Amino acid sequence: MNTLNGNITSIQSYEGISLVKVKSNDTIFTSIVLDTPETASYLETGHSVKIIFKETEVIISKDFSPNISIQNRLQCTIESIKKGVLLSQISLNFGETVIESIITTNACEQLQLEKKDAVMALIKTNEVSLSPND
Amino acid sequence: MIDLDPLWLTAKLAFITTLILLLMAIPLCYWLAYSRFRFKAVIEAIISLPLVLPPSVLGFYLLIAFSPENAFGKFLSDYFDLRLVFTFQGLILASVLYSLPFMVNPILSGLKNLPTTLQEASFTLGKSRFSTILKIILPNIRPSLLTGIIMTFAHTVGEFGVVLMVGGSIPKETKVVSIAIYEEVESMNYDNANVYAGILFVFSFSILLAVHLINNKRKTALY
Amino acid sequence: MLQTADGKLPLDVSFTIEKGQFLAIYGNSGTGKTTLLRILAGLTQAEKTHIEVANEVWDNSQNKIHLSVQNRSIGFVFQDYALFPNLTVKENLEFALQKNDNTQIVSELIELMELQSLQNSKPQNLSGGQKQRVALARAIVRKPKILLLDEPLSALDDEMRFKLQDYILKIHQKYQLTTVMITHSIPEIFKLSDKVIILDKGKILKEGTPSEVFSEEKISSKFKLTGEIISITKSDIIYIIQVFSGNNIIKVVATENEIKDFKIGQKVLVASKAFNPIIQVLS
Repeated sequence: MNTLNGNITSIQSYEGISLVKVKSNDTIFTSIVLDTPETASYLETGHSVKIIFKETEVIISKDFSPNISIQNRLQCTIESIKKGVLLSQISLNFGETVIESIITTNACEQLQLEKKDAVMALIKTNEVSLSPND
Repeated sequence: MIDLDPLWLTAKLAFITTLILLLMAIPLCYWLAYSRFRFKAVIEAIISLPLVLPPSVLGFYLLIAFSPENAFGKFLSDYFDLRLVFTFQGLILASVLYSLPFMVNPILSGLKNLPTTLQEASFTLGKSRFSTILKIILPNIRPSLLTGIIMTFAHTVGEFGVVLMVGGSIPKETKVVSIAIYEEVESMNYDNANVYAGILFVFSFSILLAVHLINNKRKTALY
Repeated sequence: MLQTADGKLPLDVSFTIEKGQFLAIYGNSGTGKTTLLRILAGLTQAEKTHIEVANEVWDNSQNKIHLSVQNRSIGFVFQDYALFPNLTVKENLEFALQKNDNTQIVSELIELMELQSLQNSKPQNLSGGQKQRVALARAIVRKPKILLLDEPLSALDDEMRFKLQDYILKIHQKYQLTTVMITHSIPEIFKLSDKVIILDKGKILKEGTPSEVFSEEKISSKFKLTGEIISITKSDIIYIIQVFSGNNIIKVVATENEIKDFKIGQKVLVASKAFNPIIQVLS
């Protein structure tokens, strides 16, 4: 589980669903939740929240401006790679913090990922959970 | 031919003692099992005293107490015309005291082993304390009651020291079988002593056998 | 005062139950749940009390009012069932009848709780679930206003639990009871109760509907369940954690870093975004 701290910068709600933008490490994250400011009190601009996403949902790209739908794009450098038979765990330096990504070893080799490489970590909007810091 | 009076007297004494103790022990044990009286341990110790005291000690004190020359004995004799020394009534009172633990201990342990929730459940079903004791508690400690009754009866039949001290050996009044055996031996009538002793031996053995049979049967039936 | 492992603890609570409500009392052991139930029943007397049921005062320490257990309109189901061993199932129920009561209720309850084939058995020949059904039926014979249940289902396996929950619900509704139940099971609370009180160290920690009390918005994920870790196994560079939740075993993938905090038997929350799960109709 990757956890980052951030503050809500904007909320756009429609029919019970909200698109929430959260700033962390100078990067804007977007998350989509089945709540609105009316149903969840933490949904207000400026509120401190945790941004949570699973390691297995972190996509790695060597292309820095891929023309794809994924909204959350994090500039990172590879800190370490732990290669397994089928899966590999990649630790990424993102600003002050470290996030983890688990991808297949095949993908890791195809991309020829090495330590110190600069990469883009991508997370789909609907994979990001929020948890209020109270 | 032996004199049958001591046998008859022994049976009468044991029966009356057992009956009195049963009626006394149930409320006493109920109180001991359920009350939160602080000095309960003291009372339980007093009740168990006859188990360890030599019968002659108890007999001696009772003799002193019952004697019309002392306050208690005088009081009984003056106000109730009751003489307890060398009488059947005195023997009953002495037996009741002496056999108390044999009735109380089994009943008390039966009550303590009974889950307290049985009584509470009966209360929540609107039943009074009396009807709870009668319909729930007593039926569920039946093996303990039986053990108490049989042990008390047998123990009263077998007592000697207390009886000799308090009752002496007055034919048809206080001369029970155990005393009769003693006297027959004293006068060298070994044949008669043998008959009395044989009867007591067989009786005691059958009683103990009965207790064990009842308890074993109960266990398999109840649990 | 409560006698607990931490010494004496004051039990200090105040709450109201509406007629017909199903109240669950939840909390760790030693927090006074059973004592509270016993005080309601009149089995335990508290130092300062005021208990009023439908405008009738049951307990008031100030005015020295203490209605006896027998005179309170309650049904009490004990944790150990407390069935009378000397009586058959039917006799256990009949014992609860008062003078002039209609005996019809006994046969009605035997039928409702499906005890027909057991009615002439002695309690020692019954299984845990059967005993519980008898205890429940017996508690209802007097048609009490309030049914008090002291962890009635804790000793039963899950299948039995679910069946008995249905029986409890059936009885609660049919006889329009006000029910107070002590339970350790959150799913049970959600299934049965309208209101829940969380007791902690003799005090009410939280009070409300089950969803108000238990569904804290700690995380925005909408797909949430609680369970207990039953195994942690390493597969390749990741770990597979099996969680037992309700009646199901679910598997969740975790990283090496995460499993440091996990141990078998731990209660956990499993959450996912509402966007991820696939939902299919069962045929």
